[in-house]
Amino acid sequence: MSTLTVDISDLQVSAAPEDLIITYALGSCIAVMVHDPVRVAAGMIHYMLPLSETSPEKAKTRPAMFADTGIPLLFQTMYRLGCDKKNLVVKVTGGGALYDDKGFFSIGKRNYTILRKMFWKAGVIIAAEDVGGARSRTARLHVGTGRCTVSSQGEETEL
Amino acid sequence: MIATQCIVDAVRDLPTLPAAAMRLAELARDERSSSADFERAIRPDPALTANLLRIANSAYFGLRARVDSVRNAVTLLGLRRVSEMAAAAAFAQTLPARIPGYGMDAGQFWLHSVAVAVLAERLAVETQLPRPDSTFTAGLLHDVGKLAVAAFVSSSSADLFARVRAGAVLAEAEREVLGLDHAQVGELVASAWSLPPAVAAVARWHHTPDGLPLLEHRRLVDLVHAADALAHAMGLGADRGELARKVESGASERMGLRARALERVAGESLDAIRDMAALFAPSGGRR
Repeated sequence: MSTLTVDISDLQVSAAPEDLIITYALGSCIAVMVHDPVRVAAGMIHYMLPLSETSPEKAKTRPAMFADTGIPLLFQTMYRLGCDKKNLVVKVTGGGALYDDKGFFSIGKRNYTILRKMFWKAGVIIAAEDVGGARSRTARLHVGTGRCTVSSQGEETEL
Repeated sequence: MIATQCIVDAVRDLPTLPAAAMRLAELARDERSSSADFERAIRPDPALTANLLRIANSAYFGLRARVDSVRNAVTLLGLRRVSEMAAAAAFAQTLPARIPGYGMDAGQFWLHSVAVAVLAERLAVETQLPRPDSTFTAGLLHDVGKLAVAAFVSSSSADLFARVRAGAVLAEAEREVLGLDHAQVGELVASAWSLPPAVAAVARWHHTPDGLPLLEHRRLVDLVHAADALAHAMGLGADRGELARKVESGASERMGLRARALERVAGESLDAIRDMAALFAPSGGRR
């Protein structure tokens, strides 16, 4: 079994059923986890920011930093593994927020809003999610079963 | 509640900063210091010298010429800047392997500290006002109070994090459970280590900049407050409770930073933060 760690602004996919994909310290960042139970493959992105237009140069070298460049890349990478869109089970976590009256630091909310827009346009349904709140999270995705867990402040829950 | 006195005693028992770090920090803020003083301070420590040269040659400073000697580094980057970086490298070597209670190892604590230092400098540029002196050092050392308070957090963590889960901000929960928060303890540590007043002010007020009594360090405290919030939003060294924090509207207003600017700074600083953290990683732990 290998453990694939997804860094901030990175994505990982695997078709080895014994693999575990994990990402740590999701603050305002969001992890999108996809699993194809037919092909038996899974992938995860840990993106940090909503829109690549804030740093177009960065988007070229690190497309997984942004929702608008990273999420399509995750799905395309899954398709290249032989996955089928209609089989994909999509789960989402992260998007935490600080207490900020002005909302300038609400990167988590903006990350989530753009994700919803993109999924609505593409007809992707979110099977389960755990987003928002003043909490940092760690997400785990088991490639073989598609089991997802989210740990936060010392507690682990199934997603 | 744990007697506040125990925490004050723990500050006294913290290992002191290495003599070289203290001397270098002093040189960084003394206008009369010379490059000969600097060389005298750093020469006895070959590892520190090697670290300094690696830092000076990193992409962060974007120098075209290669820095191959201490004198060369001083010429190209300036005495104050080099002293600041050398003091930072010396500080990294003093971190314990684990910071209990907050659920972090030295590597994560360091990554967060470097993130705040780099983001504070980048935010200063974004606001188009001159960068205050000691911005990097103040950002790097903003959480020193955690080093002294961590053991107490560890023994009360169930109570403390239950309050955070119920909606309290971390510093508030620390005050309720321990009698002091890590920012108040930070000021005590800064004083025990004879750190510059600007660094002490940041350690004390980085969670509550609106409460800062003196105007003198206002801008620096605001910058580190914002940089700290942004680092936690980015997930850099996020520990168990730190996302539960309040961004004070006074600080946002004074700096005039908007959402888009914050996002741009976050996106464009991530690689620099990782490079910088790896360059002089603490020996006590790893991320």
